[in-house]
Amino acid sequence: MKTLFQTKLAAPLMALLLVAVSAAVATAQDSRLQLSSLDHLAAKASQSVDVNIDERLIRIALKVFKDDDADDREIKKVIAGIKGIYVKRFEFETDNQYTPADIEAIRTQLRAPGWTRLVNVTSKKEGNLEVYLLMDGEQVGGLAVLSNDVRELTVVNIVGPVDLEKLAKLEGQFGLPELGIESKPKPKNDDEK
Amino acid sequence: MNDDYLWDKSGDPDPEIQQLEEILGTLRYQPKPLQLPEELSTARPRRNYFPLAAIAATVLVALLTGGLWLQIRSSEPSIPAVAIAQPTAPIPGPPLSVSPDSPRKRTPRRVKDDRQEALAAKQQLMFALRLASEKLNAAHRRTQDKRSSYENTLPN
Repeated sequence: MKTLFQTKLAAPLMALLLVAVSAAVATAQDSRLQLSSLDHLAAKASQSVDVNIDERLIRIALKVFKDDDADDREIKKVIAGIKGIYVKRFEFETDNQYTPADIEAIRTQLRAPGWTRLVNVTSKKEGNLEVYLLMDGEQVGGLAVLSNDVRELTVVNIVGPVDLEKLAKLEGQFGLPELGIESKPKPKNDDEK
Repeated sequence: MNDDYLWDKSGDPDPEIQQLEEILGTLRYQPKPLQLPEELSTARPRRNYFPLAAIAATVLVALLTGGLWLQIRSSEPSIPAVAIAQPTAPIPGPPLSVSPDSPRKRTPRRVKDDRQEALAAKQQLMFALRLASEKLNAAHRRTQDKRSSYENTLPN
């Protein structure tokens, strides 16, 4: 004779468990990186920038984009579907204020399934630059940029679908001045590994 | 002697038979409920699903609580959206003030605050996009540089 558990409760309970596990897995595959491990660097940095724009703030920002403005329309296309943009950037007055462990804490997250390293450039003069993409099928589900040199550490994390081509075109366009963060190309590249 | 005693105990009893009756009488059937030893019990033990159900319920509650916590954490307002430790190069734009989501009467001041907040959010968004764009372009440029320098080293 079957018990109440076997007859009535087993199927719904298993279904609930399946849903809960699926939700947990989906959350785990979120492209948002945990950057709080870098917070301690703010005390050492001569300048630090911490940008946390979630979906709600993006929606708020979209209210002031003008539909009759061509530039705003283009930028709206870039951020369409994006669920968050997070930046941490530290500049130091002296060399090597951060440790390899600080970078490794970010890289470890980027070794998770789904993430692919698109670009990895190392240079003694210009520092290291890594670009990672989180692929969601054929679509880009997230972007991470990890950039560091002896006096600077930057992590950019975009959550959600990103059109890299459109994003790259934003620099110096649409009335957006260049930040001058990246130096101009150097005539010699013999320092690069 | 006749056999009536053996038949219906109506005749004279045979002492030998009576003796046998007394000896065997101890083994006479005595009605009483059957009591089998426990180890010989053939009844199937009833399975107790309570521990299994308790574990499943605990796991479920833990997962749901975790999911709920993550959802609440991700939906919390970002305060502040941008923090700059050193004011030497601030991100342009008004300071970002996050207002509560509770419905309030939309007074002119409230409308102005909302617009300030939206403008601030836009400035921060633009800064982040510019930075991401610059980094992507730098990656592209440096990759191209490496490729061209590699190609230059190749024999013609």
